Parts: sequence; structure tokens; C-alpha cells
Amino acid sequence: MFKLTKGIVTTLAVSALLLMSAAATFAQTTGSVTMTATVSNFVELTSGGAVTLTGNSGGSVITDGTANSPLAVVVNLGEIGPSNTNSFVKLSVPLRLRSNVAYQLNMVSSVAGAGATAFSLKDTDVGFGLTPAARPANLAAGVDTNATPGDPTVGGSTDANGRWVFAGANSTLGAYAVSGAVLSGPRINQAVAANSATNLSLPAIFAIKPQFFDPAPAITITAQFTVVAL
Amino acid sequence: MPRQTSSLTKKSILLLTFLMISAVTCLGQSTTGTVNMSATVSKFVEINSGGAVTLTGNSGGGVTTDGVANSPLAVSINLGELGPGNTNNFVTAQVPLKLRSNAPYVLSMTATVTNSGTTASRIGAADVGFGLGTVSRSGIGVNTTGADTNATSGDPTLAANGSVNATTGRFEFTGVRSNLNAFSSATTALSGPIIMNAVPRSNANGLTVPAFFAVKPQFFENGTTTISVTFTVTAP
Repeated sequence: MFKLTKGIVTTLAVSALLLMSAAATFAQTTGSVTMTATVSNFVELTSGGAVTLTGNSGGSVITDGTANSPLAVVVNLGEIGPSNTNSFVKLSVPLRLRSNVAYQLNMVSSVAGAGATAFSLKDTDVGFGLTPAARPANLAAGVDTNATPGDPTVGGSTDANGRWVFAGANSTLGAYAVSGAVLSGPRINQAVAANSATNLSLPAIFAIKPQFFDPAPAITITAQFTVVAL
Repeated sequence: MPRQTSSLTKKSILLLTFLMISAVTCLGQSTTGTVNMSATVSKFVEINSGGAVTLTGNSGGGVTTDGVANSPLAVSINLGELGPGNTNNFVTAQVPLKLRSNAPYVLSMTATVTNSGTTASRIGAADVGFGLGTVSRSGIGVNTTGADTNATSGDPTLAANGSVNATTGRFEFTGVRSNLNAFSSATTALSGPIIMNAVPRSNANGLTVPAFFAVKPQFFENGTTTISVTFTVTAP
């Protein structure tokens, strides 16, 4: 009798174990993976390539631009007094912008070492402008707003004192003694890979009309661009 | 237990590596750029012709190569007869000069007179009167502040600048730096402050001043005479 009872208990226990095992097998047939991610605002300014210096007398490009590298151009404009008989000393600096959001390109500039008389070179004697073209089809659609009048060597005239005046508003570095917008627009890039070469390229043009400025052996002109996300 | 520790360490290293790569990627985003430019304005001084030459009192002769405004000064003049056959009071050549600068300037002159004669009666440098006339600073872009210093006595034909030597009877230019003998070596004739305001070189204005040369026809020894004058402007 005792043996019979033990056999029944054993059978029940084995059955229960098999049932539990079966139940456990059914519970592991699904699973989940939850991921989070972020797309941050991305704006980028780099060099668009080699600069172009024209109309110079004795000047040269000291540190040229390299496409897709940080913009850190250094240029000697040379002689900008009357012994330079060219119409303008002109520097064209290619810029390259990329973004996944609306952007604004700002610039701040300074002129030093030119002297302090009325006839010294001023920041208003340094013409500036951007000449962006319409966006190509491989960029996000949209229109960029140029806050400058474009190529500063176009237009312009002498004032009542005979001094050269660049045409239009925001056409000289005098407008950028404090940081100000020079270009803005909607997102630049479509949803392309980060290593995509598509970008918004445009030249930044600086120009000086050689004039009877006060003699100055070491004039320094600095322009710093910063792109921000709007 | 050691295997679990090793696995945890590997995962930690992988996570840190990922974070570092992410950080580097973020830092690689360039949002600023600079354009540094340097330039020079050198001292500039310039002398050009101020226009056509005026020759008066000549007998024969004429302007061989005239002055052209704003062109390099390279005038050639035949003064004609300077002996007593010329009955005019003076043979005078008026040569307009035009100066421009972005700095204070000094106009100096050097002159030579050569003559085929051999006696004391030949034409010499002292027989050629010289002077600068009225300086004019006018027109847009010309600096009108400051004063120019004329180191000559002006028009050499003025009565105050010459007379007949009571002893020798020879006419002499007696004013300060009133004849070419005073310019046998480079000597200042005019100086002054900056001429041009900050205007383009294409502005054609400048400081203009007439240079007078005069010879009193006299009983000079016959012969041929060459008078050569060179003006030089500098920015000291």
C-alpha cells in the first residue's frame, strides 16, 4: 500500500514538472528591443577650396583654403596705395555650408594698423559681399537670403570728397564691426549621409580700391564667420 | 565569476569607446572660420606734367616736345635766340608741374648748363633765371590743409628778383634760389604736407605749380647752350 501511494505521488510530480516545463517554453516565444536616438541640429562651415586673389601688387596667398577643411585663410593683399594701378584688389574666398536645419551665417570683422587720420584706411574702405547661386537640385529646396549686395566691385562711386564708396547697404566691413548676419536660409542638405559631398558653396568677396590712403606698413584685416542653427 | 567580470570589462570598454567616438565626431563639426588679410600702404609721391608749356619772348625756337597733363614730365624746348638779336625783355618758358602724394613731400631740382663758349661772357647757370609760381591745391580729393613752402623767389622776371649789375652791366637774377646756379646739386625748391586725400589714383587732381625759366637776352658769347633740369619729388 505504501509503495502504491509513493508511486502515485511520483507520477503526479513528474507530470507537474512536465506541465511546468511546457508552460515555460511557451512564455519565451516573443521579445522586444527598445531604442532611443537623437538628431541634433547640425550646421557646418568649412572652406570651399582655394581662394582667388586678383589686382594685387606684391601680395600673395599665404595659407590657402582647402575644400572641406576648416576655414583658416591667410592672405597678403599687398600694396593698396596709389602705386597699385589696378582698379581693385579683390579676394574671393569659397565657403562651404551644410546643415540639417535652418541656418544663419554671421560675420564679424576688424581693421587694425591702418592709422587714425581721416585719410587712413577704414573698415568702410574694405568692400564685402556674398554671391550665392540658386541651390542645386541635390540640396533641400529653399531660397537663401543674402544680406549683402553681392560682389562689392560692382557699382560704387566716389563721394563728394573723391573717396571711393562701395554701393549698397552691408557692402563693407564697416557694417560688421559687431557680428551680423550675412546669409540665412532653410535647411541645406537633404537626408543624406554625413559623408555626402553635397553642400551649399558660395564665394565671400573682399575688395579694396587702391587710394591715396595714409602710409601704413602693416594693416591687418580680420573676418570671422560663424554659422548657427536657427 | 572571473568570466563574468571579464565580460563586464569588455562591455565597459566598448561603451567608452563609443562615447569617445561620438565626442570626437561632435567636436569635428566646424562652425567658425577666419579670413585674415594683411596689406600695405606705401608712401607715394608723383610728379607729372601739368599741361602745355608756355614760351614767350622767344625769337625763333619753339616747344619741341610739349607737356601733356598727367603724363610724365619730359619737355623739350628750343629757347631760340638769346643774344642781342632778340629784342624781347626776357625769353620765358613756363612749365606746369603736377604733384601728388599721400605723404609730406619735397620737390628738389638739379640743373646743368653747358655751353660751347669759352669766355666769361658765355651763358652760365646764373644767367638762367628760375622760380616756382603760385602753388594751387584745388579740386575734389586735394588736401587743402597745410601750407607749401616755396624755396624760390617766384617768377624770376619780377623786378624784385633781378637787375643789371651796376659794375659789370650784366643782368643778374639776384633773388634767393632765383637762378640755376643755386641748383647745381639737388636742392629743395618746394615742400609741403600730404597733397591728396584718400581718393583713387584715377582722380586726376593734384597740386599744380608753374616752373618759370627765364633768360635775359644779352651780349652773350656766341655758341650753343644746353640747359638740363631734373625735378625729383620724394617723401622724407
